[in-house]
Amino acid sequence: MGARFGKKYKWVIIASAILVIWSLLLPLAYSQQEERKPLFVGAWPYLLPPEGHFNTFVTGALTFGIYHQVIQEPLALYLWHNDTYVPCLATSWEITGDYFVVNLRRGVTFHDGTPFTARDVAGTWLIHYILNHPLYSLGFVDRVEIVEDYTVRFRIKRPSPILVRYILREPVRPYSTYKEFVDKAMDFMNQGLSPTSDPVKQLAADFRNFRPEQYIGTGPFMWTGEITEAEVWFKFYENYWNKDRVKFKWLKLVNGETPQVTPHVLAKEVDYATHGFPPATEQQFKELGIRIIRPPIYSGPAIQFNMKIWPLSEVWFRKAIAYAINTTENGWVSLSESGRPVRHATGLPIELADIWLTSETKQKLEVFEYNPDKASQMLRENGFTKGADGFWRYPNGTVVEFELIFPAEFADWSAAAANAAAQLTKFGIKVTPRAITFTQHPIEVWEGRFQLAIQSWGGGANPHPYFHFYQAFMYWNEKEAGVGQGRPGISFPLIQSTKCCGTVNIRELVAGVAEGFDMERVKRGTNTLALVFNELLPCVILWQRYGNNPALDGIRVTGWPPDGDPIFKNPPYGDAFTVFMLLTGYGIRPTPQNMPAAETPPAEQPAQPGLDLTMIIVAVVVVAIIIAALLFVKRGKKS
Amino acid sequence: MSLKNLLRAVLGNYLFKRALRAFGIIVAASTITFFIIRLMPSNPIEIFINQMMSAYGMSYEDAKAMALALFTIDLDKPLHEQYFEYVTNIIRGNLGTSISISPGTPVMNVVTAFLPWTLFSVSISLFSSFLLGITLGMIAAYRRGGIFDRVVSTVAAVTSAIPGYLLGILIVVFIGVRFGLINYMRGAYSAGLTPGFNLPFIVDVFLHLAAPFTTYVLSTWGGWMLSMKANTVAVLGEDYVTVARAKGLPEGRIRTQYVGRNAMLPLFTSLAISLGFIFGGSTLIENVFVYRGVGRLLWSSINARDYTVMQAVFLIITISVVVSNFLADLIYSLIDPRVRVGG
Repeated sequence: MGARFGKKYKWVIIASAILVIWSLLLPLAYSQQEERKPLFVGAWPYLLPPEGHFNTFVTGALTFGIYHQVIQEPLALYLWHNDTYVPCLATSWEITGDYFVVNLRRGVTFHDGTPFTARDVAGTWLIHYILNHPLYSLGFVDRVEIVEDYTVRFRIKRPSPILVRYILREPVRPYSTYKEFVDKAMDFMNQGLSPTSDPVKQLAADFRNFRPEQYIGTGPFMWTGEITEAEVWFKFYENYWNKDRVKFKWLKLVNGETPQVTPHVLAKEVDYATHGFPPATEQQFKELGIRIIRPPIYSGPAIQFNMKIWPLSEVWFRKAIAYAINTTENGWVSLSESGRPVRHATGLPIELADIWLTSETKQKLEVFEYNPDKASQMLRENGFTKGADGFWRYPNGTVVEFELIFPAEFADWSAAAANAAAQLTKFGIKVTPRAITFTQHPIEVWEGRFQLAIQSWGGGANPHPYFHFYQAFMYWNEKEAGVGQGRPGISFPLIQSTKCCGTVNIRELVAGVAEGFDMERVKRGTNTLALVFNELLPCVILWQRYGNNPALDGIRVTGWPPDGDPIFKNPPYGDAFTVFMLLTGYGIRPTPQNMPAAETPPAEQPAQPGLDLTMIIVAVVVVAIIIAALLFVKRGKKS
Repeated sequence: MSLKNLLRAVLGNYLFKRALRAFGIIVAASTITFFIIRLMPSNPIEIFINQMMSAYGMSYEDAKAMALALFTIDLDKPLHEQYFEYVTNIIRGNLGTSISISPGTPVMNVVTAFLPWTLFSVSISLFSSFLLGITLGMIAAYRRGGIFDRVVSTVAAVTSAIPGYLLGILIVVFIGVRFGLINYMRGAYSAGLTPGFNLPFIVDVFLHLAAPFTTYVLSTWGGWMLSMKANTVAVLGEDYVTVARAKGLPEGRIRTQYVGRNAMLPLFTSLAISLGFIFGGSTLIENVFVYRGVGRLLWSSINARDYTVMQAVFLIITISVVVSNFLADLIYSLIDPRVRVGG
């Protein structure tokens, strides 16, 4: 009987023992974790070394996106709602004669203790000189000079507010990390070599392979070396110059794109994420009581046309397409409340159009509201007929049909493409959507290997209209813009006759918007370009994307400002409002349960290997269970 | 023995023939892989050029010149020249440098950073799944028609029909999210621990392995179990089992020596192939759990069109599958001498 019993339940006992061991190991592992409070948990995708690296100037670096600026700070922060720079590493700046002069903050140190000086700012911009940053390639500046330890100046060649933004918003890297390249770059600059000269290009090629061993900045959070596929940790820099304003002592970033980050948000393990979540996921967040913040992203998807193909080259045809698509439906299907239709198709995002366009200009703009009858009329007026099968035909009788390519991996753009294709097919223009991997998609557009394509409009996190018009007229139109060689892009002619503004050279108009500090002049140029865009419609804007960023309130973090707060005019990426809050202490703060015990300062060292009391107890318990089980089985066998 | 006879003996040798065939398969598979990779739309140089143009405002020519200077691969060369270069480099033991996911890093360094984790996780999971499957399969066969058989067979059929990545997502959502264990379902170990042979690290590694292990075992044990059950049922009807019973041999010996061993033979080849695939990792499961492994590396290299890394991973998979098959053939021929006859 005992033997049978023992045999019968031997496996049950072993399985139970394994379960017990497992359940004991779990709290053990928890016990190994030190208390790290107050903690802020964000999310950003990154690649682990050897794929990811610390050369934060080049691609593949571990910059951690928006959180880069809490490690390596810029000279100033920027507030979109009042067009103001907030001093950070710079204390003041001014334009004096041909120079943009920046005075730097004293008493700031890098994470390794070295003082922050003008050499670091100049070094950062000397590296950008060899990399031919737009500050140089667009001709805004040709020299950077150290005036004294805490003053640096830039020689202006082409006055523009854009150069101020470039300089003030760039994260400052330590000279000590890059000195070998900075010194060589300084020599080349002193010799008057251009960034496109062969020696500088060779230095840039070498620089792209440079892999620094350390990652330091002046920001409140410093690299700990604690990085895995799952997460990376940063701890507070105790000598941070603005330490009283920073309310968190630890920063954890969860690694991954939307699918990997979603369960962390659902588990309330992430305080804030900037990923683009599908509407269904967003709904789940809401049901869990997670707040959704919708800041403007200042861009979105548009239908781009290959204007080498007739009738896509015709303004009336593009306008017919604009009238045939219900963009409200398209935006809602793609991104629910975060995909909002744009009333004035001008190339400017909604918020910037409100700031820059005069009421007179707005009155002149054609509004492309959903109107299939008007679209039909436009096609009929140009000799198109609708067949009995419901499809439009060219004047020669062939059916009008196109292929619409879209980036496969972008869920919201994929939905926009599928919906636009369905709407146009329903209208009578047969459109077949085709997914292309996101890395290949822009190449197809630039190479002109498409008919219709979903691609971006709007310049994103750049407040100056120049970037938005560049994106609208030039970016996908390389040949005309003179950027690419022989690549046709959308082939939109940049010299055109318009009803609104006569014959216009769009390239010159766009460049002109970036010129000078006379804001009235910039405004006039902006209004002209808005009218030109509206009349010529180089692309059909589907909607403007707003963030649908989950912000968890009450677990670790509280104090997220209300929706109408002006800070939310800042986009979630470029001039990220969350980074502004982390750096300045505005809004968010730790919850009481996210504060360390009063007498116990937060531990700073990672868990060290070794046996502790818990481990010994667990080991004893486990061994006892196994011995008991074996004795039980053995006794069963004997009896 | 004359040279002719010696040659005949060597060429007719079972081992030699198998080794030759294995080598031929490796050459053929790596050649096909090489060309298929290049048939994919887009290439890493094009992607790099576009990155340089968008990020640094470079001209097309400058970006292209930089790409050619940076990478040891020239995709403008005729395919046969590229192939010849590839083969020559492999013979020299040079797999090249990563093109896009970690530009300039030797591919061997990239692969060896991921391979140990894959070998660890997939091998443990595979052996556990195999052991679980054959044990339960055999029990089910002995109790065929009973409740145990019906329950286990149904569960096996259901779990093996669900794709591993889907099971993984379900585990993440229903266990990780619900029970607050999500942090143990991401990555291979916790940040802050010092990798090495120390107890906290080892415990942590096993805890992080739990979810991918469970997913892998759940999605694969059913196949082993159902095959083992079918084989056991067939063997139980064999005359030699009846004879063994008639001779009065102990049931335990019949179960292990007569039934189990013979029923397991056909599964041996499948196990050998699976062992080979250990080196390729489990792409989808590794992605769901953000687990450090070759599968994830392969995924990112395909997305980035990193030809050299893709080639290296496929080559490793090919070699490991072929070698494990070759070894299986050898062991099989020892277990069952019939396969050598006319083999």
